[in-house]
Amino acid sequence: MSIMTQVGLVFFPAFDWAISPDHPEREERLLYTRDQIMEEGLFDLPGITEFRPEVASFQHIVRTQICVPSVEKVATKPHLIAAGGTITAGELVTSGKTRRAFALLRPPGHHGMRIVHGSRGFCTINNEAVMIEYLRKLKGGNLRCAIVDTDAHHADGTQDIYYNDPDVLHISIHQDGKTLYPGTGAVDELGGPGAYGLTLNLPLPPGSGDAELLYVTEHLVLPVLREFQPDLIINAAGQDNHFSDPLTNMQITAQGYARLTELLAPDIVVLEGGYSIEGALPYVNVGIILALAGLDYSGVIEPELEEYPSKNRSVREEVVRNVAYLQSVWSRRQEQDLDQIFGEKNYFLRERYIFYDTDDITEFQAEAVKRCSACSGYRRVYSQAEHHNGRVTKIGAVLLPWQACRSCRRAAEETCRQLEAEEELDHVYLQDPGCIHRRTSKNDERGEIIGG
Amino acid sequence: MSYVVGIDVGGTNTYGVLLKNGTVLMTAKAATDPDDLHSGTTQVLASILKSLPKSAAEIELHLSTTLTTNAVVQGKGLPTAAIVIPGPGLRCEDLGLNFKLFPVTGYIDHRGREQAALDYGQLRAILSRIKQSGYRAVAVIGKFSPRNLQHELAIEKLIAAEFPELLPVTLGHRLSGRLNFPRRIVTSVLNAGIAQLQAEFIRMVQEVKDRYHLDRVYLLKADGGSVDLEASLHRPIETILSGPAASLMGAQALSEQIEDAVVIDIGGTTTEISLFYRGEPLAERDGAVIAGYATLVPALFSRSIGLGGDSAVDYDGREVTIGPRREGPPAALGGPRLTPTDAVVALGAADIGEKERARRALEKMGASFDIDPSALAERIVTAFAQKAAAAIDDIFIALNRRPVYTVSQVLAAEHLKADLIIGMGGPAVFFIPKIAQQMKLPYRILPYHEAANAIGAAAGRPTVSITLRADTALGQLVVPELDYVTPISRPLFFDLQAARREAVAGTISYAQRMGTQVTPADIEITGEEVFNMVRGFRTVGKQYTLTAQVKPRVQQVSYNQ
Repeated sequence: MSIMTQVGLVFFPAFDWAISPDHPEREERLLYTRDQIMEEGLFDLPGITEFRPEVASFQHIVRTQICVPSVEKVATKPHLIAAGGTITAGELVTSGKTRRAFALLRPPGHHGMRIVHGSRGFCTINNEAVMIEYLRKLKGGNLRCAIVDTDAHHADGTQDIYYNDPDVLHISIHQDGKTLYPGTGAVDELGGPGAYGLTLNLPLPPGSGDAELLYVTEHLVLPVLREFQPDLIINAAGQDNHFSDPLTNMQITAQGYARLTELLAPDIVVLEGGYSIEGALPYVNVGIILALAGLDYSGVIEPELEEYPSKNRSVREEVVRNVAYLQSVWSRRQEQDLDQIFGEKNYFLRERYIFYDTDDITEFQAEAVKRCSACSGYRRVYSQAEHHNGRVTKIGAVLLPWQACRSCRRAAEETCRQLEAEEELDHVYLQDPGCIHRRTSKNDERGEIIGG
Repeated sequence: MSYVVGIDVGGTNTYGVLLKNGTVLMTAKAATDPDDLHSGTTQVLASILKSLPKSAAEIELHLSTTLTTNAVVQGKGLPTAAIVIPGPGLRCEDLGLNFKLFPVTGYIDHRGREQAALDYGQLRAILSRIKQSGYRAVAVIGKFSPRNLQHELAIEKLIAAEFPELLPVTLGHRLSGRLNFPRRIVTSVLNAGIAQLQAEFIRMVQEVKDRYHLDRVYLLKADGGSVDLEASLHRPIETILSGPAASLMGAQALSEQIEDAVVIDIGGTTTEISLFYRGEPLAERDGAVIAGYATLVPALFSRSIGLGGDSAVDYDGREVTIGPRREGPPAALGGPRLTPTDAVVALGAADIGEKERARRALEKMGASFDIDPSALAERIVTAFAQKAAAAIDDIFIALNRRPVYTVSQVLAAEHLKADLIIGMGGPAVFFIPKIAQQMKLPYRILPYHEAANAIGAAAGRPTVSITLRADTALGQLVVPELDYVTPISRPLFFDLQAARREAVAGTISYAQRMGTQVTPADIEITGEEVFNMVRGFRTVGKQYTLTAQVKPRVQQVSYNQ
């Protein structure tokens, strides 16, 4: 047997939890994957060690996300275990206990945004982001991370959390949003004024397969990673891009995914979606584990695998075109005149609607990002959520970046006081990563303060 | 009333006990001849039976022998060909097995559905090659074979029809219903390799059985249960590691009720750690590991530390290090190195060999660091206790970090712990109090009893375990250990109660086949997993996986000296 890379596996299939009995996110989802891993005897291999997930605390969550009204109200125990298990994976690698780690767990998290009114795209708590913020806290904010999200759905939650963060590169490779939930993730979504070019979206046309995924990896992802030089590479490994997935129209195979893992050489892999629970997940996950361990994965082949007819030329051409476009954005990102994109004012303003399909909530957000030359700028967000029962919640939030400058810090405090004076806001939040999370509420005099 | 004879074949001596109503009536002993394990056994048996009245009622013989253990450890199994049906996944070359594998085309998937048929042409060619290459035993192991027995059974049938000289074959699914293809290969290959040895052994014991008019003969298994002599023919691998099992069972039989405890058996070279949890000896989660082979053989939990009374001691002026090597007997007995035993001898706690030699060894080691022999001896005993305590802590940490797969288990965070230390082995009396002090636990030292393992062998009761798998969407129920496959004719009415009934019935019929009569009250369900299967937002069936066994029981044994 070849020399193996040490891999820590945090496997948590949550066999007693479902969103609802017939939901794709149900007890059975990782059952066949468990059976395949057990039968392959992977836990007996000298390089692979299994670890139990820890349970994330509220402090871990509020450092990353603003849950309305509180973490307790939106996150369930399974969410805290999935986020905690991802932290476990992160800790294995940063402490040097294992060279790599795979958080093979559910529920998933990459649609969980900075502000959380409920569950969307089967996600609430953003597992990768909670882990990254935990590790950043450990390193005093000095940690550069790259997330490569290969789920078939656009990782709009992770993108939202790191939209304006200069230390986190976020690349999402997904089925074109014109054809799939959540609809976002176009090539021109490139990040905020404080982190322009560090959000990259590569939409793949329906029908894309291994060749397209690997083309993007080799021609865009790897060169960008080489230049960004992150301390950690995280692969958010959704597996709904598999040819047998019932919710999408992609044609990735276990071989393609394993090759992607080999090329990317991620430090940490985190499962996201993937709902072909019998035909895809058992094989794709075994492929990922073998590739992470440096073992030969050429024997991992799905029984239903057939030769696909060669694709429409236009699929390949579109991918090549998009890669070329993003290559040029990336190479010119530092010379780019940001005023042209974000305007010449002191604040960059954006407004948007966000739909929560899982919990049936419509959110409207108005955000102002401070254009700051000393840091990436504090943000003020108004968010109004209309729940399916007609209940409306209005909140204001002030977000400070890691390493915020003194002037942004002062301005943030001032803005927070102004928001707290606004009568119509139910809750006002201040999030200062690594330091403090504060909530003031109209109907709760005590509010909430959690140290960072 | 029936008499029970327990015999343990140890490395040096063979011990026997005679029990009636849980009381030891007599013990006997003979030297073990490593080349003829049988002679010591018959000698001990003869001397015990001589004492019985001619009209003695039923006599049961319980044997714990090192036959299969030695055969595996010394690689004495017959050259075995492993026919494997690996399907897709990890390549055979990467399984890390040093057996010759003959892969055959075919694939059963995780649900137990055939995804690719066997290639009979290829199979016949392989069987001819196996026959010509002089292999004397054959094992057949398919990936996911416990979920669908058909491929393994078909190969057995083909061998019976066209290559009968290769019979008998070991089929993987019969040995274990657990999922772990590499371990199933190892278990099956080892089993096939020692099957003939076991057959000869059974014939010899049968002669003894007839000669002495014994009513029943049982062999002790690695899990502390026993198996009927004749029934062990097809599953000899289950009788490996019966020595450590006998030792733990002996401790349990001779002790008052034990709840949560750590058992520390201190020997010359190593210290063995085993655990009691809620009154039962803890079992290995996956299966026994023997001579580096990871198997699926049910076994009692045991971990070995390289720390014993004869371990080599070093002192560098700051720290005492002990083991893991043993370089000979203690200095007090003329050995080359200072050992923990010398420390207790020098302190006057033990009377072994020459105290003066032990003192001289301590003086020599301590001289260049200006430490007086008694002080050094105290430090050695403390270091011994610290090392043992640290190793035990690590064992508990590892066990308590074992992954669990449900939200409720994570939140419940059930923890293994010990409330008591039980000490065994020659040097226990010197070191256990110190270890207990270190771990802040009460302790009990089992009085040395040379026949304790023989008592342990006698205490084992016949046990069997099965795995039941029912998939109502496929409409099929399988109990691999029994070769039992039956359609579920009314899937809508098949529920957990039905699955439990089937599991209990299966265990009873398996026990019968293994020569033991049991009732439903003797059966316990040890594992249950139920999943709804949903396809396209519609429930298409349920999947049940149950494990059941004959409850292990240990009779308390009293010993009147």
